[in-house]
Amino acid sequence: MPQPLAGIRVIEVGGGAVSAASATKTFADYGAEVVAVEPLTGGLVRRLPPFPEDAPRLDAGAFHLALNTGKRSIALDVETASGREVLTRLIRGADLVVIEQPPAVARRLLDLVPDDGPSTVTISPHGLEGPYADRTENDASAFAWTTRMHLHAIPERPPLRYAPQLAAIQVGGTAAAVGAAAVWSKEHGGERRNIEVAAVEALGGNVDSFFITWSFTQVETARGPGQSHIAYPAGNYRCKDGYVMFAASGPRFFERLCQGIGHAELPTDPRFADPLLKGEHWDDFMTYLGPWLEARTKHEVFTELQGFGVMVAPTLEVSEVLTDPQAVARGSFVELEQPGVGTITLASAPFHLDEAWEAHPAPRLGQHTTELLDAAGYSRDEQIALFRAGVTG
Amino acid sequence: MTSQLLKGLKVLELSEVWAGPMAGSLLGDLGADVIKVESYPRASQTRPTVDSPISKPGEGPPYERSPIHHLPNRNKRNIAIDLRHPDSAEVFKRLVRSADVLYEGYSAGTIQRMGWGWDVLREINPRLVMVSMPGWGVEGPYQGYVTLGSGLDASAGHTSVRGYPGDPPEETKPIYHSDATGALTLVFALVTALRRREQTGEGQYVDLSQIEVLAWQLPGIYAEWTMNHRLPKPLGNADPHVVPHDAYPAAGEDKWVFVAAENDAQWAAVAEVAGHPEWAADGHAWASMPGRLGARAEVDAAIAAFTSGLEASEAADAIASRGAIAAPIVAPAEMLGSAQLQSRNWFQLIDHRYAGMNLMPGFLWGIEPDAPSWDLPCGLVGEFNHEVLAEVGFSEDEIAALEAAGAIGDHYD
Repeated sequence: MPQPLAGIRVIEVGGGAVSAASATKTFADYGAEVVAVEPLTGGLVRRLPPFPEDAPRLDAGAFHLALNTGKRSIALDVETASGREVLTRLIRGADLVVIEQPPAVARRLLDLVPDDGPSTVTISPHGLEGPYADRTENDASAFAWTTRMHLHAIPERPPLRYAPQLAAIQVGGTAAAVGAAAVWSKEHGGERRNIEVAAVEALGGNVDSFFITWSFTQVETARGPGQSHIAYPAGNYRCKDGYVMFAASGPRFFERLCQGIGHAELPTDPRFADPLLKGEHWDDFMTYLGPWLEARTKHEVFTELQGFGVMVAPTLEVSEVLTDPQAVARGSFVELEQPGVGTITLASAPFHLDEAWEAHPAPRLGQHTTELLDAAGYSRDEQIALFRAGVTG
Repeated sequence: MTSQLLKGLKVLELSEVWAGPMAGSLLGDLGADVIKVESYPRASQTRPTVDSPISKPGEGPPYERSPIHHLPNRNKRNIAIDLRHPDSAEVFKRLVRSADVLYEGYSAGTIQRMGWGWDVLREINPRLVMVSMPGWGVEGPYQGYVTLGSGLDASAGHTSVRGYPGDPPEETKPIYHSDATGALTLVFALVTALRRREQTGEGQYVDLSQIEVLAWQLPGIYAEWTMNHRLPKPLGNADPHVVPHDAYPAAGEDKWVFVAAENDAQWAAVAEVAGHPEWAADGHAWASMPGRLGARAEVDAAIAAFTSGLEASEAADAIASRGAIAAPIVAPAEMLGSAQLQSRNWFQLIDHRYAGMNLMPGFLWGIEPDAPSWDLPCGLVGEFNHEVLAEVGFSEDEIAALEAAGAIGDHYD
């Protein structure tokens, strides 16, 4: 059975940036043909650590290996007239072009796409127009613009980012979602779309921004503690061998939790029954919950309390994530033979559909330059001329 | 009228809280006909039945004035059906028969126990695409487990790397990142499964695990272990290979600006704004990347010394306009201060029957020629019961009978 996205051709002109690479990865893993047009020096996605043995190489970084799976790579200087001509030919017959470039460069590239050509998704920090359009941002600064960094901190401490590149990858996921819809539309008689994904808008418009809470009340969402002692239990709680994450402060889940730890009487106990008084008795509640947790491992807490329908999860170290029983049973991680690197471990399919997802090794920089130029109709003499002039690599 | 990329697709949404509902809003933004089958008669967790400090003050039911419910519930039609009520079976069957897609966010196994598992639904509509999106996915030993995004973040290993170095894990904030990424992935998964439906002519079932969605987005922290056998730990805002790269204090209480210089040119811009161009001159200890890596604390202190005298946006404007990386770390209301978002008319002013006029965050993308628009504000409970049920052939008398029997409804007690 062909993969579900077989027959779709995506051209990524992302300058090797993380969002563009993330956007097209999912297309490639579900069967689309993805051509990554990369700068001759290799972009950021190839330069991000970690590297095997901490020795930096363009073809061995963890982000490159994970986010460029199954793509074909052509190294091309798109800021030359010759490079843009090559790109024009690559775009011919494509279904989607994903661009992540400074606005001036992006505009020139958009001009190459004919009116009967593919839809485009252009990723940028702030959009192509507006007073901040030309600003350079990185993963963390784009995140800073969008409220979560402010809220992701406890009182009296500086705001805090998430894991490296997580915001940039979310922006890529946004481009993938709307890009897939554009491909679907064109396959079903719809017109060609030019789509813009501005990182600040993609992050600020998603569901975990608390702007609307302010908008409704004109009151800023307070930066609460990690572990609330007012609405509890929520947050990380210590158990025998580490921590578990609770989200069991609401009445329904609190009641289930109390049953689960053998104290079904607590929800009607005057200290805990009234949400307004409950906040004064966290210490009392911990005389019940604390010892119960200390006697159990995080996995025991998890499975016992989930049996009562309590929202609780083990807080895992990265090493434990890979051997988590659910991850093992579902094949959430796969091993892949990566030429020049050896066996690597990658996260598997984000959604399961029979015979739909396959990860293939990420390409060396410019690994497919010759075959792509052959297919685009360039003679070998023309290819030598482009290479000698530093347009291809 | 909003963008029409998914025009003609009818989607049934059975989900609550954030990830599933946000996906419905995005599908609606893209032109799908999204019908939200609201939890009934139990109100969903994002619809408190009494006023809370975050409710929009006003008249009408508190569950229609909850901000955390409004954002992920635009551009869809709300119907409220008690799926466990015997009289609702025919309603649901006809809806399923009329739909292209049904997705559900119950804990794994719940919809089977309700009698509406994939085996049943595919018999009703052999061309249906069904997506189940529980936190840990459908198959596997954690079937039936319940969670919010914070639990998935913890079990994916992300929580253990968030925080300030050396702080106790009790101080790590719960976050809900997987709701945002789960919503986006659902849109991609639907298109993928619809394309498979066209290849095969048959309906499709998708098992979407929100924790697996998060997992592929964390390649760096996993590779620390799988590649080099190191356990990643919280680093605050520091990047081990970039100095400066941190949140620095700005003028005012609890005001901060993020500053980074990823290369020498960006560093020269920061040095110039600081009034110390010599920091980037040949021979200065901080002029080179290795020099700055070796002097992180001193560089951080020097930057904090000048940013703390400036407004966050003032410091960011000065640094960013010279080509380095800087951004004010904005609280929700401060997003309004972005000249960029204002110039792009990003915020949306939306009227709602009970919540009144409110400024809402804008769309995740711009589309030409058919830009997204906020055609339907957050639906009231059961607001479209009559319209949607009439479309699948129920008469007004039949709808009235369903209401009287409690199989459908338009309010919570």
